[in-house]
Amino acid sequence: MTPGRTKGMGPYLLILPAVLLLGIFLVLPYLNIVLMSFRVPGQGTPYGVGFTAGNYVKFFTDSFYILQVVNTLWIGLLTTAICLVVGFPVAWQLARADMKFRGLAYGLVLSPLLVGIVIRSYGWTILLGNNGLINRTLLNIGLIERPLPLMYNALGIVIALVHVFLPFMILPIMAAIQGVDPSLHAAARSLGASKTTAFRRIILPLSLPGIQAGCILVFVLSLSAYVTPSLIGGLRVKTMAVTVVDALIDTFQWPFGSALALCLSVTGAIAVVIFARLTRMKWKAS
Amino acid sequence: MTEVSIEKLTKTFGSARAVDGISVRIANGEFISLLGPSGCGKTTTLKMIAGFEDVSGGAIRFDGQDVVNVPAEKRDIGMVFQNYALFPHMTVEQNLAFGLEMRKVAKPEMRSRISRVLEMVQLTGYAERYPRQLSGGQQQRVALGRALVIEPKILLLDEPLANLDAKLREEMRVFIRDLQRRVGITTVYVTHDQAEAMTMSDRVVVMFGGRIAQIGVPADIYERPENLDVAQFVGQVNLVKGTVREGGSDGRCAVETTFGVIEVHSARMHAPGTAVTLTLRPEAIELGAPGKGAKGTVLSSYYSGSLIDYRIELEGGDIIHTQAFPHNRFADKERVGVYAPADRFWLLGAAA
Repeated sequence: MTPGRTKGMGPYLLILPAVLLLGIFLVLPYLNIVLMSFRVPGQGTPYGVGFTAGNYVKFFTDSFYILQVVNTLWIGLLTTAICLVVGFPVAWQLARADMKFRGLAYGLVLSPLLVGIVIRSYGWTILLGNNGLINRTLLNIGLIERPLPLMYNALGIVIALVHVFLPFMILPIMAAIQGVDPSLHAAARSLGASKTTAFRRIILPLSLPGIQAGCILVFVLSLSAYVTPSLIGGLRVKTMAVTVVDALIDTFQWPFGSALALCLSVTGAIAVVIFARLTRMKWKAS
Repeated sequence: MTEVSIEKLTKTFGSARAVDGISVRIANGEFISLLGPSGCGKTTTLKMIAGFEDVSGGAIRFDGQDVVNVPAEKRDIGMVFQNYALFPHMTVEQNLAFGLEMRKVAKPEMRSRISRVLEMVQLTGYAERYPRQLSGGQQQRVALGRALVIEPKILLLDEPLANLDAKLREEMRVFIRDLQRRVGITTVYVTHDQAEAMTMSDRVVVMFGGRIAQIGVPADIYERPENLDVAQFVGQVNLVKGTVREGGSDGRCAVETTFGVIEVHSARMHAPGTAVTLTLRPEAIELGAPGKGAKGTVLSSYYSGSLIDYRIELEGGDIIHTQAFPHNRFADKERVGVYAPADRFWLLGAAA
């Protein structure tokens, strides 16, 4: 009996608790955010009486916010790209090579996830700061004369985000490569393809689902990251997520903060859809 | 068309010798099987011929040219893998085109070669399918077509039928053999299935522990095995103990057994009184009423449809297996006559 043919209410009753849970604690709050984003700013209260599109007008007409979206997208793209370039060889090695310490290497890849994100980000401030380990060392060796600007800029945020999110790139790619039959590479070689051609024509396209998943994960996580950008970026460089929290908590502008949050979500969603379209796999369909 | 010559080929993994100095000459257009249990070095040998495994010592020559230092993609081989190794993201046509693209074959010629090969492997009309839309047998034929469309010097097959069910396996044996004959390509076939090796090959190379135990035409391997390992690997075999009565210098040797005095071929001199072992294939034996041949007692019988399997204890204590047609049944503990023609006995190590 196929599940779709089941008669009666039984199955629906079974998923009811989950539907209620999601509905009450996820869908309703989201709807409330949408509603909130159209409310009038209040004086001394979270929001005033009536509705307006003013929050969105403010967002789209103020180049400060547009620039911030561009900045956030740029940081997300850069983080994703670096994670891909750095992560792919690691994933390949973990999936394929005969390594003595594969277990250890696997543990090292996962290790960033074992330490809280706040601690990791603080760690980077110790390394990247003007008085931090990196600048100190370079100064002492005499390679530089004044500290390199590693913190309070996009570069510092990207460095820290790459560290934090690298496992999310490596793991799906590793799984995808493990799923590719090693004899395919040999088959391509036997047909006259060099190692690089065999990689480009066979291994790369077949590990694309993993690359796609890893990129989407890292990109989305980078866009919505709050702790790392706020600690490393400080007051000077702000990403959208940081600005949203500022609006909600520091300046108590709930309606505008909600509008900002939605704009960030929609931007991210559009970027992901475009990416998924570009990397769509014909052979997977049907 | 290519002649392959393997000379003292060796492969070591650490201190283990996976392939231990084997030499074979494979004639132009010959179908040769590497037969042996897993771990005997047959697949490693194939991988070295293909160029996927480095060679520790020795030479592999294609038409006299040593290819040991030639990378796999430059060796001009066609290979069929056990799991087919079809590119899942490419259609049948794209799979076949891959090797031609690597060779920069012009589009029109590519099309005509692909359609010719598709016809050859009986897959015309399947060009647009993806591998996963095909049955195991069809995938196998695509793999064969992909290896042949590039018109390679040699065809290498690594246990290509191992994943197919029994019926299809027998069909594919005939199919591959016919195709190979038609194309006339030098072929090396790796298998652990003796029936496969026997039915398909011009010659069989039996390997044990990285070494060649015997090279010969299938009938040689089956009827005149070099040693006990070979005899047992290529089929059920009965061992008959005997004593040399006369180890003549004329290549003959008279051995006294429970079957009487049997004269067997032997290149080696044996002193009278030496204990030897003769092999006797189950199908060479005829069972009948006591009187003809050796005396025996039926220990047990198993009905298997077209034949009945018997275990019989001979007078001297040897236990033998044989099969007989059901029209002539013998009960357990029944006394029988066990007869075999003298030329079906074989003295192990006779050629040494």
